[in-house]
Amino acid sequence: MSAFIKDLLELQFLQNAVIAGILCSIASGVVGTYVVLKRITYIAAAISHCVLGGLGAARYFSVVYDLPWLRPVYGAIFTAIASALLIGFISLRAKEREDTIISALWAIGMAVGVLFIFKTPGYNEDLMSYLFGNILMVSREDLYLIALLDVIVIGLTVAFYHQTVAVCFDEEFARTRGVAVEFYYLLLLCLTALTVVLTVSVVGIIMVIALLSLPVAIASRFFDSVWKIMIAATLLGITFTLSGLIFSYAPDLPSGALTIVIAGVTYFLTLIWFSLKKSHIAKAESDVTS
Amino acid sequence: MSSLEAVVSFSDVNFAFEDGITVLENINFSLEAGEFACLVGPNGGGKTTLLKLILGLLKPVSGSIKVLGEAPSRRQAQIGYVPQFSKFDAGFPVKVLDVVLMGCLQRSFFWGPYSEEQIEKARMALAAVGLQGKEERGFSDMSGGQRQRALIARALVSEPRLLLMDEPTASVDVHGTEQFYRMFEELNQKFTILMVSHDVGFVSARVKSVLCVRKTLQIHPVSELTGEALQSIYGLDVHVIRHDHRCTEKGHVCPHS
Repeated sequence: MSAFIKDLLELQFLQNAVIAGILCSIASGVVGTYVVLKRITYIAAAISHCVLGGLGAARYFSVVYDLPWLRPVYGAIFTAIASALLIGFISLRAKEREDTIISALWAIGMAVGVLFIFKTPGYNEDLMSYLFGNILMVSREDLYLIALLDVIVIGLTVAFYHQTVAVCFDEEFARTRGVAVEFYYLLLLCLTALTVVLTVSVVGIIMVIALLSLPVAIASRFFDSVWKIMIAATLLGITFTLSGLIFSYAPDLPSGALTIVIAGVTYFLTLIWFSLKKSHIAKAESDVTS
Repeated sequence: MSSLEAVVSFSDVNFAFEDGITVLENINFSLEAGEFACLVGPNGGGKTTLLKLILGLLKPVSGSIKVLGEAPSRRQAQIGYVPQFSKFDAGFPVKVLDVVLMGCLQRSFFWGPYSEEQIEKARMALAAVGLQGKEERGFSDMSGGQRQRALIARALVSEPRLLLMDEPTASVDVHGTEQFYRMFEELNQKFTILMVSHDVGFVSARVKSVLCVRKTLQIHPVSELTGEALQSIYGLDVHVIRHDHRCTEKGHVCPHS
């Protein structure tokens, strides 16, 4: 830990990593709350896997056609928004078989990405960092982009808070009040898409869904209003990503994986604690009545 | 607008889903202001569909529906809707007062904290359903009956002219049901009520008219609601049990005993 702090003061990539962890946790805490409450973790996971297609395609065209301005993240943003809107329209229109279509998109997105990465000349090590994340490779430009996306996510959440919470709680009632339910549903999916893109750099495509849902799952055990859960999930997310970064540094472990393990263990400890507490209360009550 | 004008009127309404299955056929009825009407009928008979047509969530294939003299979609603001209880996520982290405040949402956009006036209206709506003092409780911590009351308060907060309720007593035990019907009678002083219900026995003692839906619609004045009428609605295989409860100062007297 002391080695980490010493290096943090000197090495810019480490400072970038810390800032990226904090900035990503803000968006994933806020948007993750919607994802968990609206029960669309499956859709969020599908979007995150589709992102590989965009990353791979953008990198391929950038290398093959010598387009240095075309960064992989732009491809990721485009694919994420496109797949979010596509899935959104499918789930609004299709009455059944929704999950089958979403699974198909999930797999096709990944397959396209793998093909592009395979055909891209040069080293293909990027595939691993896309899948499992590499927070130490986050650049200054990435940070500006993540900060911009944070501003968008927070701005839209503050502006549309009542409407989005009402849509999560009871879509049909919101519709009877004249709320534009379809618009807010697609908005939530687009926010999810943007958040997924920036979280991919921290924990990678495969583990994004854990960073979106685990802090919220823990926070929702302690708080009973949506905005409190958003704040608590953000703080938990920061704790998890930073502790993952710090504890992986000295033994040279992959920080994304360690972050998820820490978050997962905390989640299950919380569950155990609450079930013990519940059985303790039940026992105390039965002692009183007997 | 005169108070005698029909709150809801259906003329020759037909409804079918996209797959072509006819749900409602040739529906004609109207609901006067101050009415307390009950929709009964077998599952899949079209009760909820009929409510959704009034709400403007579904459009009829043919025929015309008027709510307070206008198309349903233009009158949504004047309708308070209490959906079926069973579809709610029991763990949703929200306070009772915030659930009720969702009833303040409207077509025109607004953001920021709710106004003092809206919060005051929400408190009054909670008081009207007997939940005063429970504003800060978590929705998920309450009993089924209390949650149901909170959902009714959410429908009341926008001060509707018409209250539509879809099986509002489904989550309430028999004892609680009696209290609910007393509450509905009070609400009926201010609102026109149309509710979907399964327990016909309880209903007939208080409700002014019963609309029986089974693809087509029959209206029964409550006094005529006999076993035969019920049988024609629910099909032949129905066992009618009479509930002629009469409570006096001497306690519970059952006419069969």
